[in-house]
Amino acid sequence: MNKFKQLLGVSGVLAASLPALISGVPAAQAEDIQQLRIAVKKDRYSVDPKKFNFTTRRPAGQIVETAVKPDENFIPQGVLFETWDYKDGIYSIKLREGIKFHDGQTFDAKAAIDGLKLYDQGRSDFLQIDQDSFDQTGPYTFTFKSEINSSLVIENMTHRGASLFSINGERAENPIGTGPYLLDSYKPKQSISMKRNADYWGDAPKVENITYHFIADDQVRLLALQNKEVDIVAEVTPQMLLSLPKDGSVVVHQSRPIRYVALLTNLHGKAPYDTLKDKRVREALAYAINREQLAQVLFNGKGVVAKGILPDWMFGLGDKHVDGFDYNTQKAEALLDEAGWTKGSNGMRSKDGKPLKLRLVAAYPNVSSVRPMPELLEQMFRTIGIDIELVQVDDSGVYDDTYLATGEADLYMEFASNNNADPTYLLYNLFHSKTPWGYQYTAPGGKLDTILDNARQAQSREEVIELVREAHREIVQTKLAAIPILMVPNFNLSRPGLSIPMFEHADWIDYGQVTQTK
Amino acid sequence: MKPFVFKRTLSGIPTLFGMTLIGFLIIGLTPGDPIEMELRRLGVSFTAEQVEALRVEYGLDKPLIQRYFIWLLDLFRLDLGTSIASGRPVLELFKEHLPITATLSVLAFVSSLALSLVLGTVTAVSQRTSVSTSLYVLTMFLVSVPSFWLALFLLAVFALGLGWFKLLHFGNAQDLILPVITLTLGNAAVMSRLVRERIIAVMSEDYIRLAITKGLSRRTILGRHVLKSILPPLITNWAISFGSLLGGSVIIENIFNLPGLGQLALQAIAERDFAILQAYLLFMGLVFFLANFAADLTNHWLMPQLKEDDHGVR
Repeated sequence: MNKFKQLLGVSGVLAASLPALISGVPAAQAEDIQQLRIAVKKDRYSVDPKKFNFTTRRPAGQIVETAVKPDENFIPQGVLFETWDYKDGIYSIKLREGIKFHDGQTFDAKAAIDGLKLYDQGRSDFLQIDQDSFDQTGPYTFTFKSEINSSLVIENMTHRGASLFSINGERAENPIGTGPYLLDSYKPKQSISMKRNADYWGDAPKVENITYHFIADDQVRLLALQNKEVDIVAEVTPQMLLSLPKDGSVVVHQSRPIRYVALLTNLHGKAPYDTLKDKRVREALAYAINREQLAQVLFNGKGVVAKGILPDWMFGLGDKHVDGFDYNTQKAEALLDEAGWTKGSNGMRSKDGKPLKLRLVAAYPNVSSVRPMPELLEQMFRTIGIDIELVQVDDSGVYDDTYLATGEADLYMEFASNNNADPTYLLYNLFHSKTPWGYQYTAPGGKLDTILDNARQAQSREEVIELVREAHREIVQTKLAAIPILMVPNFNLSRPGLSIPMFEHADWIDYGQVTQTK
Repeated sequence: MKPFVFKRTLSGIPTLFGMTLIGFLIIGLTPGDPIEMELRRLGVSFTAEQVEALRVEYGLDKPLIQRYFIWLLDLFRLDLGTSIASGRPVLELFKEHLPITATLSVLAFVSSLALSLVLGTVTAVSQRTSVSTSLYVLTMFLVSVPSFWLALFLLAVFALGLGWFKLLHFGNAQDLILPVITLTLGNAAVMSRLVRERIIAVMSEDYIRLAITKGLSRRTILGRHVLKSILPPLITNWAISFGSLLGGSVIIENIFNLPGLGQLALQAIAERDFAILQAYLLFMGLVFFLANFAADLTNHWLMPQLKEDDHGVR
């Protein structure tokens, strides 16, 4: 009898796998998902009609779409815009036809112009379109000009914040977009659920319903995944990576490296924060960092040694324009000797009775994101005779006002990325002396300002890229305004069996295309 | 009783005003520009002119003291301002978040009250027994262990290990069980130590010794004499504990993902959402004032023979 049962079982398995065997489809076939639960850190809900989005960008991005999106090299590719052209200061747009808003309204030139005009009423007119220049030239075509004669308006439209809403809806309460999902339910600070838009114009999503759960605590996000209450954890800190279970119940997904860990140097500080005005000291720091070791120890060993703060694959920049710094403590010590910082009997350096002590502030985006990097760097700098005063701040307001704006530190550790398809975006905002982000003390000024201004005014993409390479070299090699350390991927965690189309920019991971492997 | 109530109410008014003023100054002078922080969070470029325009829009361009008086005037109209981060009226946000915090605090308070009385009494009356020593060690442990650790421990055991609870909040009563236990354990441990100390102190009083020699039962002595003597200081302590529970649930709400006032305040600190922070301070001040007021009234009612001064029972 038992043998008969076994035979039946084997026959059943064979019968079930027969179609796959016949058609040659591998057994690990992807299947659609009914309900996908994603844990994200915060709900950035707003009902302020002046704001761009009604909730955290990631969920919002499933409902409202942008005109363009970044391709694999962060170059804009069409979404709602089919083609565009920039000539003699005028942008000519051709919209994709056959697209409707969720309420049935046709997405045409008038709707697109209305949507773009919303941004002029917004909190930050970052697209900087000349609002009086819109000219509808056909049902699906229109033109406009940039307020600042920039050739990078389309690049800036890849920002999720520039999604196009219909002006018909109350976008804070019931946003009407063209995206693959419709808003289903929203519980502020708890969750937001979306259901598949059956009439979506593009590739149909593979997930029927998506729910984002807002879970502030890092460890609790991980626990929720382990407890099978969510399927994906979208915001992953290094400490979460260090505390992953070893039983295979959690799978790490990663993109190509995009986030940089770097030390920004105070180039204009007043005493006692003026030590790094001497380039030899900055170079000594760059040579004293054992990047290979840091890459092995941190971020699950997934980080790579950085030559710059922009990845080589981005915008087709390559990395030939930067040399990087190898780990060479002898060279570092020689540079410090040459700069007059001599080693005492205790192994620490001083000049004219003043000890070589630097204040390193680790704060951005928060301490848990970079820990234990600051402690490891402190040890590395100590070996070449530099004493480090480590300040770890977990509040961006205190960081901005107390250390960045005052210049009361020598080194600022940052873990960030260029999240914009505008190649000048990060370099301009961080390193131009007119930086609106408060980095006046780490901005070299002079030649770099000119290069960045030229890049923002350049009228062709090739010219922009060449100037960005020049600016990047100036920042990380010539001036050492930033000492690059590591490049780190964007991570997601999931339960086993999920296939996530990872993307470097977290806002652009298409969770609607997540599949379950059989 | 009436003059007492009148005096206490009157004395509370300048206290509350003083508190709102100091709170306003502290919040206003805290490093971090709310507008710049908000714009940076959006991750887009902005100019100094745009920042300035928004400062004007939110009235942040005015001197701090002027802003305080504007806020005060609005307060009389029950207008607590608008949140910079969400653009919603603060009063509306409070109505949304307060029920969870209030429920959590009341449940934790009642259960820690009961638990502390049991623990404190047992450890006091059965000193030098193994039960008493074990309970004393347990309370010492619970007093020293950080609440976030206890919360994560309970989640790991009861949610992850045993699967009895969920980590996500769905608006069910069950969501509150682990947070209430976390708050109760820590709070009861602290409160029980005071109960124990007071009972030990009263038990060595002459009139208690007399009652013992008279042959009164332990239960009668505890219930009739000891409890009555220890109540006034305990009531004051309980009032402070209740206020602390309301304010101290910040970390617990964050870990258990409960959308209460604590979570709202925590986010407001990170975002420098002045209107929310100021309202939170006012609320906490009111809670402490009312809790102390209730404690004084109770003490006054329980022991009218005690003389009162401006600060209540002495």
